[in-house]
Amino acid sequence: MSWKEKLQRFQELVNEFYEGRHRGALAREKREEDDLFMLLVFSEMMGVPNPASYYTLELLPILYDEFHEWHTRMGMDKSPLEHFRCC
Amino acid sequence: MSRSPLDEREILFVGGKGGVGKTTTASALALQAAERNRKILVVSTDPAHSLGDIFDVSIGNREREILPNLWALEIDPDRQVDAYLAGVKATMREFVRPAMFSEIDRQMELTRQSPGAVEAALMERMAQLMEEGRRSYDQVIFDTAPTGHTLRLLTLPEIMAAWMDGLLKGRDRSDSLGRAVERLSGRRRERSGDSPPKEEGEESERTGDELSWFQQVDESPGDERGRKIREALLARRRTFSRARRHLLDPDITAFILVLIPEKLPILESRKAVDVLRKHRVPIAGMVVNRVLPGESLGDFLESRRSQEEEYLAQIEALFGDLDPVRIPLLRRDVDGLEGLREVARYLEPFSSPSRATS
Ligand SMILES: Nc1ncnc2c1ncn2[C@@H]1O[C@H](COP(=O)(O)OP(=O)(O)OP(=O)(O)O)[C@@H](O)[C@H]1O
Ligand SMILES: [Mg+2]
Repeated sequence: MSWKEKLQRFQELVNEFYEGRHRGALAREKREEDDLFMLLVFSEMMGVPNPASYYTLELLPILYDEFHEWHTRMGMDKSPLEHFRCC
Repeated sequence: MSRSPLDEREILFVGGKGGVGKTTTASALALQAAERNRKILVVSTDPAHSLGDIFDVSIGNREREILPNLWALEIDPDRQVDAYLAGVKATMREFVRPAMFSEIDRQMELTRQSPGAVEAALMERMAQLMEEGRRSYDQVIFDTAPTGHTLRLLTLPEIMAAWMDGLLKGRDRSDSLGRAVERLSGRRRERSGDSPPKEEGEESERTGDELSWFQQVDESPGDERGRKIREALLARRRTFSRARRHLLDPDITAFILVLIPEKLPILESRKAVDVLRKHRVPIAGMVVNRVLPGESLGDFLESRRSQEEEYLAQIEALFGDLDPVRIPLLRRDVDGLEGLREVARYLEPFSSPSRATS
């Protein structure tokens, strides 16, 4: 490997390192955004008043299979909805 | 600033405290307009409907022609809620294990009983009627429930549109973050495949905070679920913002406040005017109903009259700019077409083109 190639390789490694961290941060941010969305849609069921819950009820079928993953990630190992057991 | 007379507004709301004469006023205006060859829909939004009684017909949850040019409807929000929940339930069943069906039924039942559901359904139907009614009728007249309820209903579209906006922006941020992550991963893959690195600063547009989310709808990659969510939210938002736009347009909508010359109705009307003005809902006029007639009334009623005079003076002072129109207390309850025509004659000033309203 010539010194030029070595330098290029080094730069790539550095880039990858930062992009990896950046990517991780972005992915985390996305997940937080999605979690917040779930919270907003399901809040009323958890006893937090939500003026739009009637209108967002129609999202339930679309979000249903994300629901389990979400509530476990939120630190609730049982479904928070008493009447809505998915596990 | 002069506006079109009431006749030309496409949407009228008749509101006021319980029992002051909302249904009477709405029906009289509707009959008068229909008899002038305009196609009218009169809609009762009060769960305790009395529209059918005044015309002596049964009306119900479907638009129905009760007289030539005059269509009527008594909204049944419970049935509205049921139909909506049945739809959600049917979709849910496609997605979950049959063992879950009864859980879903219970969940839907809970929603049906939640306090906001009926109101939400009512507002949705009113928004639809404002939209479709404008196309099919010359005028849609809403006979509303007592003030507090109606004011809340009229301010709901604003709240709901804002709520949907919030959710949509959240989705948008999530989507652009997702795209940025994909791009970074894609870049790494490309680079390890020895293709030239892409330019700097590519991911800088990831802040989807601006209203750009509207355009991004089509560009976003074909995530089916995301598309469905977005579509549902956008459809809701569109309905609410349209209702809001119609409500606030003084060339389309007019609110008529009915009261009687007594203390509590005056206080309530003051609050109503404040709220309506605050939310910029155009108020087109006021009806002072059940004003004691001019003829001599005997001692008892004469002493009432002197009190009434004070209230009438208060009404002029408080609401003079709304140019209140008076209807006298009639000998009998207003019933049937003749009674309504009599009331309508007192409402004639509303049709005058010189009326300037706010
Ligand atoms: N000017 C009037 N003279 C005599 N009776 C009247 C007059 N206006 C209304 N009424 C009678 O008063 C009663 C209440 O009127 P109406 O039903 O129009 O009030 P409302 O505001 O719609 O009541 P609610 O809040 O219950 O819907 C009815 O029986 C009606 O016939
Ligand atoms: Mg009424």
